Amino acid sequence: MFFMSAEFQTVVSALNEGFIKTVELFFLTLIGALPLGLVISFGSMSRFAPLRWLTRTVVWIIRGTPLVLQILILYYVPPLMKLFTWGGGETGRFTAVTTAFIINYAFYFSEIYRGGIQGVPAGQQEAGQVLGMTGPQIFFRITLLQMIKRIVPPMSNEIITLVKDTSLARVIALQEVIWMGESFMKGNRGYAGLIWPLFFTAVYYLAFSGVVTILLNRLEKKLSFFR
Amino acid sequence: MKKILSLTMAAILAFSLAACGNSGSSAPAADVSESSESAAAASDETASVEETDAAESEENESAAAGAEAAESDLAAIQEKGSLVVGITNFEPMDYQDENGEWIGFDADLARQFAEYLGVSVEFSEITWDYKVMELEAGNIDCVWNGMTLTDEVTSAMETSVPYCTNYQVLVYPAASSADFDGLTSLEGLNVAVESGSAGEDAAEALGASTVPVQSQANTLMEVSAGTSDVAVIDVLMAAAMTGEGTSYAELSYSVNLNEAQGLESEQYGVGFRKGSDLADAFNAFWAEKAADGTVEEIAVTYGLQDAVILE
Repeated sequence: MFFMSAEFQTVVSALNEGFIKTVELFFLTLIGALPLGLVISFGSMSRFAPLRWLTRTVVWIIRGTPLVLQILILYYVPPLMKLFTWGGGETGRFTAVTTAFIINYAFYFSEIYRGGIQGVPAGQQEAGQVLGMTGPQIFFRITLLQMIKRIVPPMSNEIITLVKDTSLARVIALQEVIWMGESFMKGNRGYAGLIWPLFFTAVYYLAFSGVVTILLNRLEKKLSFFR
Repeated sequence: MKKILSLTMAAILAFSLAACGNSGSSAPAADVSESSESAAAASDETASVEETDAAESEENESAAAGAEAAESDLAAIQEKGSLVVGITNFEPMDYQDENGEWIGFDADLARQFAEYLGVSVEFSEITWDYKVMELEAGNIDCVWNGMTLTDEVTSAMETSVPYCTNYQVLVYPAASSADFDGLTSLEGLNVAVESGSAGEDAAEALGASTVPVQSQANTLMEVSAGTSDVAVIDVLMAAAMTGEGTSYAELSYSVNLNEAQGLESEQYGVGFRKGSDLADAFNAFWAEKAADGTVEEIAVTYGLQDAVILE
């Protein structure tokens, strides 16, 4: 049986190794980008016009250029300009890619947060003011909760996209799951000219995004009070 | 309010101008090092420009950068304690065994070279298109991966003596092999090639319309899927990847395209940073190992005894 064969075992163990990188990249991006996005959204809603414009310009730059280009620039330009180097090893590549992903996703998330915050009816804040609450109190006790509820569906969309975007990391030779799949076409661990491992990586993505979808749906259900 | 507005606009404009200036000057390597180094180092560099000016009037900028690297590259690697070898997974030159250890003709000799330099070896997989950038950025110290010494390669890197011969072959479905017998022109065929490879040059020279793809392995997928008629790749790779026991059992190869073009065979070399003294160290190392039979022994292990250059 094929699933018991040495070929299958070897390929799957290599793909697993790559998949661990993919998952690590996914979670580190979320951990970094979710809070950073909120901070950026405050920047783009600031009453101080220069800060608002600066933030929105950067949002435009980050959203307006391909992530793959951002990864390349972040990884190669600083060492070429002798500013600093990420290092050529796996750790250096991983750090650079993670940084690029956090920056990119934080700016996307910031727009989702902005939509969520501005979507809370002004009457809610006015009610808070009438009750004598301070600005931070209004934000944390009234706006934030309602915002979170509103942003779950668009956020889910973006997070599912992130699952698949992790494959862009291989442009600077981070050995995530697709890189591992491709490696068997050229030859890896004693097997060469295998095409199926590349297509087989789809199973990993489907399983992963399936789990993420279920978790996000649960979260959405939990937050579906009020109406 | 309006004042703040105009101030910010001015600031943004100034910032974007500065940014443009930076990216413009980042192209030649010499400029970059100049701009970031201290005044003392800059005056050092001017001195080396004068030295090299006499020897080589053209390209004095990159030569200056080269002279600077030459002072330090070997010493820097010995100080750092490791030689980072840039590779792609390429059987039989650099590939992983069942335990994930890097082996192959190039990998085994890279290990010996590191030992010769008194440092440890580290293999780093790179994206082939970015090999020069990887070198210049200092992410890797050499490209040692069955690299054909083309004009592009020798102008962008400090290259070693050639150590292995290679030629380009045509890969096609075995069923239609009769069509390609004694072929001297590829006109009218869709030919899959690796972007930036020696195979791409060969195919274009023979009048083919090329389909550049990401890797040599992908060219085979093109042919077996029927999206390209034939592929042009290195003979070493064609031998390892087509025929029985591979996913490309239905493909076969022949036709030495270098012969069809009337060209010499290609040669493999190791690439170092432009101007690096590591190339000389490598040449000395290679002469020693070729003389004592180590190179031949390793070549036999990987079936390359006919291709390796021992002189």
